[in-house]
Amino acid sequence: MRSWRETRPFDYIMLAAAIALTGYGLLLIYSGSINTMGTGLENLQGPTGRQLVFGVLAVMACVVVSRFDYRWLAQGSVIMYVGLIAALIFVLTIHGTAEYGSRRWINLGPFHIQPSEIGKLVVILVLARYLSDHQEDINTPRVFFTSLMIAAVPSLLVFIEPDLGSASIFLFIWLGMVIMAGASMKLVLGSIGMALAATPFAIIAVIRDYQRDRISLFLDPNKEALGDGFNILQAEISIGSGGLFGQGFTEGPQTQLDYLRTQTTDYVFSVLGEELGFIGAMILFSLYILLLTRGLRAAGMSQDVFGRLVAVGVVIFILFQTFINIAVNLRLFPVTGIPLPFISAGGSSLVTVFIAIGLLQSVVMRRNQVTL
Amino acid sequence: MFNRGSGGYTTGRKPWRSEPWRQPDAPDDSENSFALKRKIFFFGMGIFFMFGILTLQLARMQLVNGERYQNRAETNALRQVPIVPVRGLIYDRNGEPLVENKATFAAAVVAADIPGVDLISDQPCGEGCQQISIALQELTGVPAAEIEETIVARASSNDPFSPAVVKSGLSEENAFKLREQLASLPGVRVVVEPSRSYTHGALVSHVLGFVGPIDESEFDELAKGGYQLNDRIGKTGIEATYENILRGITGVRQVETDASGRDIRVIQEQPAQAGSNIVLSIDLDLQAKTEQFVREHMGTSLNAAAVVMDVHTGEILALVSLPTYDNNIFTGEVDEAALEKLLTDPGKPLLNHAITEQYAPGSTFKQITGLAALQEGVATPSTQITSLGVLYVESEIDPTIKYPFKDWSALGTLNFYRGIAMSSDVYFYYLSGGFVEGGRTVFSGLGASRLADWARRFGLGEPTGIDLPGEVTGIVPDPEWKEETIGDPWYIGDTYNMGIGQGYVAATPMQMLLVTAAIANGGEVLIPHLIKEVRTATGDVIKAKTSNVKRNLNVDPRNINVMREAMRQAVADGSATTGKARSVEVAGKTGTAEFGEQRPNGTYMEHGWFTGYAPYNNPEIAVVVFLEQGGGALSAAPAAGKILNYYFERKNAAQGSAP
Repeated sequence: MRSWRETRPFDYIMLAAAIALTGYGLLLIYSGSINTMGTGLENLQGPTGRQLVFGVLAVMACVVVSRFDYRWLAQGSVIMYVGLIAALIFVLTIHGTAEYGSRRWINLGPFHIQPSEIGKLVVILVLARYLSDHQEDINTPRVFFTSLMIAAVPSLLVFIEPDLGSASIFLFIWLGMVIMAGASMKLVLGSIGMALAATPFAIIAVIRDYQRDRISLFLDPNKEALGDGFNILQAEISIGSGGLFGQGFTEGPQTQLDYLRTQTTDYVFSVLGEELGFIGAMILFSLYILLLTRGLRAAGMSQDVFGRLVAVGVVIFILFQTFINIAVNLRLFPVTGIPLPFISAGGSSLVTVFIAIGLLQSVVMRRNQVTL
Repeated sequence: MFNRGSGGYTTGRKPWRSEPWRQPDAPDDSENSFALKRKIFFFGMGIFFMFGILTLQLARMQLVNGERYQNRAETNALRQVPIVPVRGLIYDRNGEPLVENKATFAAAVVAADIPGVDLISDQPCGEGCQQISIALQELTGVPAAEIEETIVARASSNDPFSPAVVKSGLSEENAFKLREQLASLPGVRVVVEPSRSYTHGALVSHVLGFVGPIDESEFDELAKGGYQLNDRIGKTGIEATYENILRGITGVRQVETDASGRDIRVIQEQPAQAGSNIVLSIDLDLQAKTEQFVREHMGTSLNAAAVVMDVHTGEILALVSLPTYDNNIFTGEVDEAALEKLLTDPGKPLLNHAITEQYAPGSTFKQITGLAALQEGVATPSTQITSLGVLYVESEIDPTIKYPFKDWSALGTLNFYRGIAMSSDVYFYYLSGGFVEGGRTVFSGLGASRLADWARRFGLGEPTGIDLPGEVTGIVPDPEWKEETIGDPWYIGDTYNMGIGQGYVAATPMQMLLVTAAIANGGEVLIPHLIKEVRTATGDVIKAKTSNVKRNLNVDPRNINVMREAMRQAVADGSATTGKARSVEVAGKTGTAEFGEQRPNGTYMEHGWFTGYAPYNNPEIAVVVFLEQGGGALSAAPAAGKILNYYFERKNAAQGSAP
């Protein structure tokens, strides 16, 4: 008989991929901040140093979370969910700090915390718990739509901030998780269809002017070659000019001469595209694919529905954050302001994704636990 | 449950273990497991699919279109900064400088480098942009709102990278202050604007013209020639005509800049090539005297003009148009009040009255009628016609109705010489229109068409081709012209009027000068010119063509001589004796042309004309004096006489003093 005490293999490959991505990100942040912070050790006073510190904290958080039984987290998830909703309302009403025209941050001294980031994990946990509790009734409208509500409420609050990108991530997470939980294709496709049908109304009624502008700019950035369209065009030029091998690390004129904006956060991928080229991007994609397939492996290994759903939720979360961010850089998607997981400078995002990796590890490590 | 769990973990006695939250699924239900694997596979495919999309787009951008983007990245950071060449100088024929270059400072903004410009928002000039506008307002006095407008307009134009001047003509002190603050004002520049200082201002302003900013409307065309929106360009006068010579070739400095427009390094530089200097045929001393003499005789004239020309080369020695203006007011910041005054002045000081306005030439036109009549055989030197002071012309419809055509006096019987010399109108009614009495042709004249043809051969009705912009053509009427323009048929009276330079005929003083010059030089209608030579920046001297003949009249030299003698007599003892000069024998013709509405007493306002040349027997120069109000003999001829006298007195003195 196997006991829970037996060796539970930690997925070192997954952790290595995550750390490799973070290291890759540090290099890009370094290059992207030379023009403001200088080179060498001096540069560490800027975003590179902060990211390094957050990276260490994040890996520690990941290890700590992996030691917890994820099922314990399920118990606290409802409380965390209530806390999340409260924090999102708090951001919107009382304490929001507007940066780049939106209220996403809570200021705690030198830290600006973005509750929507960690909120995505909370929603994953709550959804996983709810869906595993009601797995048999998943195809009843009540359960199906309650699960949708769990994701839709924070999604709406985030949308009001306004943060269209994160709002959509909540819905993608929900979609992936209900599919995993066994929702019928009829319901899934039906809800997607409804969402698509509602889109034009949303654009007219709900989407704000700035979002509409962003969408119209996305369609034609030349219109505002020196205004908001500037970023879009410059990112496109940066990436395109990288070619196969790139202009060389720290050698990209677009990055180093300041043409690229927010080049350590939203547009960090453009730095990579310009300086390391197609090859550099393929290395990045490989690392993501490795990490995400290890996440799916964790889902496949889990012996309980809850663990499986958490794993799938985390994979969807990281996948869509990555996809949307890069798609914005590549002009496949309107500007939304979603960080690139592991890469973009920013503590909230980095700590969140490492906690997510911790959750995946926790699922992996406890796969045999059930065979008492 | 939580306590135990966490306690266990924190004390580290044994790994924490929670109680199962719910019973795990029954393991390995084979169908379940298959469905699970299928779903996991589905998600896996999703991952590859999504990265596949990104890879495809990335490959399209980097591998397929990479080169195009690389070019854009290069041009992104590289800016072509134009280097304005030094504009060529202008001298009079004796080497007297007429213009100097001096540097003035201007505050300018580069819209692309101004922070906070967001064209789609309601407030396109955002916070940073507003701060800069306010700071500039304090330094330049230009209202911040106006500066914001300039920035936004430039940002939305297709040339946001070149500096837009907010305020030109900054004092050196203010320019220095602004320079000190540039570090805190991104996108603001102090540009050095070369500007012109006309050393003799109003004296030669109608010749030189001035330079000024490029109009937005003409920019598109000029941009092809390498002009920048901030460049200054010759707007009128020699500055405009010889813009290409004076301007030089703009240099280019290729600079690598960062996104806020600061220069990082100069990559390459192609220096500007200075413009060439121009030496004019104008004799500044004669110009000053000409102006002085015309002024003395201007009387109540709203405006006046006088031109002195070499009858062989077409070189203009003096060109005066009054009232004049100081062209220095256009060089820096234009003084709006002064400009308004110039624009509303009834004398139209900004117009060059020698070429840009046309007037009835009056009796000076008789030079054309006379020479045409001699050459066409209508008259001979001995043709005798009697002027009783008025000529009654029978109506073509009803011969009992007679219209009176007046002469200025009952001059009696005249031959051709006296007809010109006394300026008999009746004499020229005969020559131009002939005379019919009782249905019988007493004298057959040139007729309207032949007269008009001769007027055109003398250069009337077309621009003279002088190297100044804005010339008008004048009018040479004929029956077709009258039918088309007025809508009335041509009467004999129209021919009579044309024959004495009245009625519809109109010419510029410059055109009438060419008529006299053609008589003086034996029949060559010249193209007058002001340029004498071009001196390039590299020291080469290019001489202008000395004589530019537009047309040779091909008239019998004997007829020319008759006309010269007639004009000599006019000055010697005819109607133009006021045009005599002590130092030289003058030949000339006065003109007193009626214009405007008839006064209650039956008279008209009159233009005063004189055109003449000297010396009579060896023509050197011709002169025309036009006074908007005056008499030919009364005021124009004396002014012309003084001009000619001055010229030859000076010349004689120079020759006398020479060994």
